[in-house]
Amino acid sequence: MVQRLLLAALVAAPLATFASPFTPAAPDTVGTTPPASRNQAPTESLPWYRPRHVLAQTGGGLGMVSVGAGYSLKDRLDLDILIGYVPRKYAGSRLSIYSAKLLYSPWTLPLGKTQKWAIKPLMVGGYLSYTHGTLNDEEPNQYYRGYYWFSTDTRVGPLLGSRLSYALPPTAKGRARNLSAYYELGSNDLYILSYVQNMKGLSPADILTLSLGLKLDI
Amino acid sequence: MRQSYLLSGALALFLASCQLVEFSPNQTYVPVAERNLTSRNLRQLATAGPSLGDTVRFVFVGDTQRFYDETEQFVASVNQQRGIDFVLVAGDISDFGLLREFRWVNQRLQRLRVPYLTVIGNHDVVGNGRAVYQQVYGPLNYSFLYKGTRFVCLDTNGREYGFGRQVPDLAWLRRQLADTAARTVVVSHVPPTDEDFDPALVQGYAATLRACPNLVLHLSGHVHRYTAAQPFHDGITYLTTYSLEKHRYHILTMWGHRQFRLETVVYGAES
Repeated sequence: MVQRLLLAALVAAPLATFASPFTPAAPDTVGTTPPASRNQAPTESLPWYRPRHVLAQTGGGLGMVSVGAGYSLKDRLDLDILIGYVPRKYAGSRLSIYSAKLLYSPWTLPLGKTQKWAIKPLMVGGYLSYTHGTLNDEEPNQYYRGYYWFSTDTRVGPLLGSRLSYALPPTAKGRARNLSAYYELGSNDLYILSYVQNMKGLSPADILTLSLGLKLDI
Repeated sequence: MRQSYLLSGALALFLASCQLVEFSPNQTYVPVAERNLTSRNLRQLATAGPSLGDTVRFVFVGDTQRFYDETEQFVASVNQQRGIDFVLVAGDISDFGLLREFRWVNQRLQRLRVPYLTVIGNHDVVGNGRAVYQQVYGPLNYSFLYKGTRFVCLDTNGREYGFGRQVPDLAWLRRQLADTAARTVVVSHVPPTDEDFDPALVQGYAATLRACPNLVLHLSGHVHRYTAAQPFHDGITYLTTYSLEKHRYHILTMWGHRQFRLETVVYGAES
């Protein structure tokens, strides 16, 4: 399971190198960055590994509260790494949930004339999560190979959502910053399988999850 | 008036979104109305009507796991039967031990005209399923007396506990079987003849049942098919039943000291 997470991180690494479009700009243009370039066009190059935003969310099967950081590619592709927590009262044991989300948003639409607000009407993508701390955590030799064909702690699922952004004052170095609120509707592999095999009995609404979150550019 | 509509609408929306905002598929949190179903259903059974005579008649069916379409057909069929006291589900209510699965099954089984009772299955112990079962249904081991019959329902999913010689709890079972006045039925998910039963406890389990003079039957699920045998050659009959996908269930009628009759019902279209 941990290997899978590492794999996800490895897959993410090359994306992250692309996530800092190198746009050289003379220092004296810093003060005149037009509002239209709000979309994270950094005026100085940041190291590739430096996260471009932090985020916090609830739900979506990724924790009662989950926090994380992420990378952006051309303001369209976001990769977020999250750590979530569910207290014992809500799950029978304390769960920590490690997850990676990849979301693509083709459009950013400005709202109003002030250029302060913008909306990404469509975010589409998926997530991979690993849950630690379940009561019955598949000990070695507990089962013979293939006893349970599914993983009890690794989930994958699709995501679909929207995001509303507010342009904060740029940083001292002139990088534009947004504070965004988002929702994501999702599901997971096991719910989808249950639905596909019971189309009469279950409805798509039965297998939906909702997450609500905030994202801040740093 | 309109305001109260709005308010209740907003409340319904809020509650619906609470269910949507799922912290983990392994979470255990359910609305109060969906907790402790075993004791609720036992109360319903106790007040169901005058218990005439000593004949008890119940539906016995196996694993409902991931068979939601079939579960609806099952409920429709059982609701057409006459003279059924209750329905007994032999475990594996869920397939992945996830809360939503338990809720989907309960949403269907609660449409039965009679109460239903369950025993925990190995799939129900996966992940945090054990805590989900405890929240939704109640204790993993329990027994009840109905029309002169003691039903002993217990967790025999030894493999899920790493064969630690703790499950099934033989000391608890012995205490339940000490009631020598009542006709007795023992219900578990994994039968003791199965490789998922703790091998160190098989002989002790069989001996405990053998020592009970009023035992009518031992009932299980897990194998998804009907079997009936006396594997320990001691006069104790071990019976297993169909899973929901087989479109079959059993009706068991018990009377007298240890008399019983087994009927098989076939329903719906086999897919």
